[in-house]
Amino acid sequence: MSASSFRIAVYIALGLCALGLLWRLSAWLRVRIGPDARAIPFHRRLASALHGAFSFAFSRRLPGVLKAFLLDVLLQRRLFAEAKVRWLGHLLILLGFTALLLMHALAALLTQKLFKGYQPTLDPYLFLRNVFGAMAVAGIVLVIAGRRRAQRVAPTAHRLGDRVFVALLSIVMVSGFLLEAQKIASPAAFQRMVDEYFGEDISPEDLSALKAAWAVDYGVAFEDAAADPDPALLETGRELHKDACASCHSLPTSAFVSYPVSRVMGPAVRPLDDVDAAKWLWYLHVFACLLGLAVLPFTRLFHAISDPVSLLVNGAASSRPLSDAGRASRRALAIDACVRCGLCDTRCSVAPIARFMNNASLLPSHKLLSTFRFAREGRGRLRDGARYDRIAEGAFLCSSCGRCTERCPVGLGLDDLWTAQRDDLAAAGHPAAAKWVQSRTASEWADLLPAPPGEGPAVAPLSSDRRTFSPCVQCQTCTNVCPVVAHTAGAGDGVDLTPQKVMNLLRLGMVDLALGSRMVWDCATCYQCQEHCPEGIRVTDVMLELRQSAYRRLATVRDRRRPE
Amino acid sequence: MKYAMFVGCTIPARLPAYETSTRAVLARLGVELVDLPFACCGNTVRGLDQDAYVFASARNLALADRAGLDVLTPCKCCFGNLRHALRFLSQDAGLRARIGRALESEGLALPEKVQVHHLLSVLFHEVGVQAIAAAVTAPRTGLKVAAHYGCHALRPSKVTQFDNPLAPTLFETLVRATGATAVDWPRRLDCCGDPLHDANPPLAGRLTQAKLDDARQNGADVLATACPYCQLRFADAQAGRTDPLPTILFPQLLGLAMGLHPGRLGLPG
Repeated sequence: MSASSFRIAVYIALGLCALGLLWRLSAWLRVRIGPDARAIPFHRRLASALHGAFSFAFSRRLPGVLKAFLLDVLLQRRLFAEAKVRWLGHLLILLGFTALLLMHALAALLTQKLFKGYQPTLDPYLFLRNVFGAMAVAGIVLVIAGRRRAQRVAPTAHRLGDRVFVALLSIVMVSGFLLEAQKIASPAAFQRMVDEYFGEDISPEDLSALKAAWAVDYGVAFEDAAADPDPALLETGRELHKDACASCHSLPTSAFVSYPVSRVMGPAVRPLDDVDAAKWLWYLHVFACLLGLAVLPFTRLFHAISDPVSLLVNGAASSRPLSDAGRASRRALAIDACVRCGLCDTRCSVAPIARFMNNASLLPSHKLLSTFRFAREGRGRLRDGARYDRIAEGAFLCSSCGRCTERCPVGLGLDDLWTAQRDDLAAAGHPAAAKWVQSRTASEWADLLPAPPGEGPAVAPLSSDRRTFSPCVQCQTCTNVCPVVAHTAGAGDGVDLTPQKVMNLLRLGMVDLALGSRMVWDCATCYQCQEHCPEGIRVTDVMLELRQSAYRRLATVRDRRRPE
Repeated sequence: MKYAMFVGCTIPARLPAYETSTRAVLARLGVELVDLPFACCGNTVRGLDQDAYVFASARNLALADRAGLDVLTPCKCCFGNLRHALRFLSQDAGLRARIGRALESEGLALPEKVQVHHLLSVLFHEVGVQAIAAAVTAPRTGLKVAAHYGCHALRPSKVTQFDNPLAPTLFETLVRATGATAVDWPRRLDCCGDPLHDANPPLAGRLTQAKLDDARQNGADVLATACPYCQLRFADAQAGRTDPLPTILFPQLLGLAMGLHPGRLGLPG
């Protein structure tokens, strides 16, 4: 590749990256999560973001922002507190990758200008490149291992861009080390350097002496290298090397990763030379780097921008709450700042329930993605989605313990997002079951909620067993002690039946009429009825079981429109 | 006296002072608390999916069982749910088998020996009123306290076995141990309204208000609770009022009487 076409490729990658960044950054002002956020126009969010970005330095927010920068962004104390191994892995990737970027990828712009006599094949640069590369590889391994461990507890949600980034980073690292190894042992690379340095000015004797020295000291895999070269020849070669090569070439053992790799490759280096492997590896290495740069805004690497911003916004909010517009933007930012590390899922209080009900929508990492998809798809398309029943189940079964928010290594305001998500779902016709039931009367529900086949003692042991309610003598004690009945002001409160009437419906075999009743769903579960029943009927337990039966049947209702 | 501390979801998220004060008081009274990797008691799914609820409770109970500890919880709803789960498991062989299989897939076994206690039961039955009275160094003499029992500790008594469900005395006895006076108020056993708050806020509000009015009419200076939901409901219902009836968590009242610094009880110091 010529220098100019390389430059064009870099510019294209940079341009794509810049366009992508613009798109992703604008999403923080465009994406609307929660009914309150829908009321705030784009320009107000832009104004609040610009104001925040430029004014924090002169406000009370400054100490909080500086503290967040030092402790949260640089030292990543939140990750350290949650997962030490992943913190170490992350730090290794961050340091190794950044150092390689500055010292190696940007050598022409930085290292060469800062350090006189810089040569990539000279120590300490040769050694350091291997140090940084090894750090990044070790970091990737640690982070993946930590993730695997978390996955055993709960399956973390992921997006395509997550895998793409890990794949590209791995390709860059592996191709880099292989390229270096190939060049260390390559006779063709040796020949090219000889040609460039000496041209025609080297005698065949000197050349074979130099080859002997490089075969022994530099591990070049010459086809005709003697296993035990003549000591005099070797001595001549080493003298020649000292004059001609040593100023640019440290011993390859400094490349403590690539050199052993080149030993493993052994004689395979020559056939690889025949197919110009070094060139192809270089293309792969550079192409993966440029592709990574071009798609950066759409991969996990974007978190290198979104996470620091998110943490700094938290720091700013620590001294003074954000404005409505700021909060709306912070929600959109949270979607991008999540790296789906899955630590929230492992701490989630309802994770065991998610596993038991086989509904991953309960888990924070999945809820974050569904919140985002909801914002993107809008409300109109959701009405027929069985998928959204599952998502709503996840949203409303959250126990609001706040552990995900407290433990998130990037400090996302997840509790605020979950509230917004519940409000969004409710507005789109997917409210909590207790609210949904209120949209129809008990007799309307009776028509809509026929018993599914197989409903029997296993799932409804109380209401399907006559012995539960047949002792009821309709004495009305349950109704008389019921606080819900006592405090009902009128029809507007919705309480339709009384506990004793519910028992009577069961006795008459009309359980369907009780399922959607407000008495069943507005029961305070205070157990007064059950405690006071002279016949020892488990009235409250029956109420709860009826709710459970109704909930199972509600899942079969697809049409969420309110009756005309 | 050593228990697995089941703090639940709501206390850490919305009422951390309850945990702080409970730990401070129990530590002073020689009760040791152990933290296990507990999750939700199943309350969130109780009225929607019986098996999922019992599984959630049983998983926590299995963890305590494995550690050889009984459970202590300051939350009356967690208390009720955990105790109900044990009852359901003992009554229904089919349920027991299903939950047993699910626990097995998590490397756990059905709970066998574990017992579930509420904070107040442990104070009354295990620590004992005499030991508590002996630890009181700053008695709250003259303070008139309305003790709010909370439904899910009291009823159904066959399951909770907390106290006499119709004429309980446990909470008032503990209140008196702090040197305060326990007022008699007709609505002391009523529901605080919280379980109804999401589904029917106006009705829930009337339940809450009836209790607050009753406590006030019977001369209470303060309402004592021992459940996060009740405490939050009474506080939220009076938000914005200029003359609210103060509510206090029982371990805060006890802690003050024991001379603990308000800061250690999650109170403004």
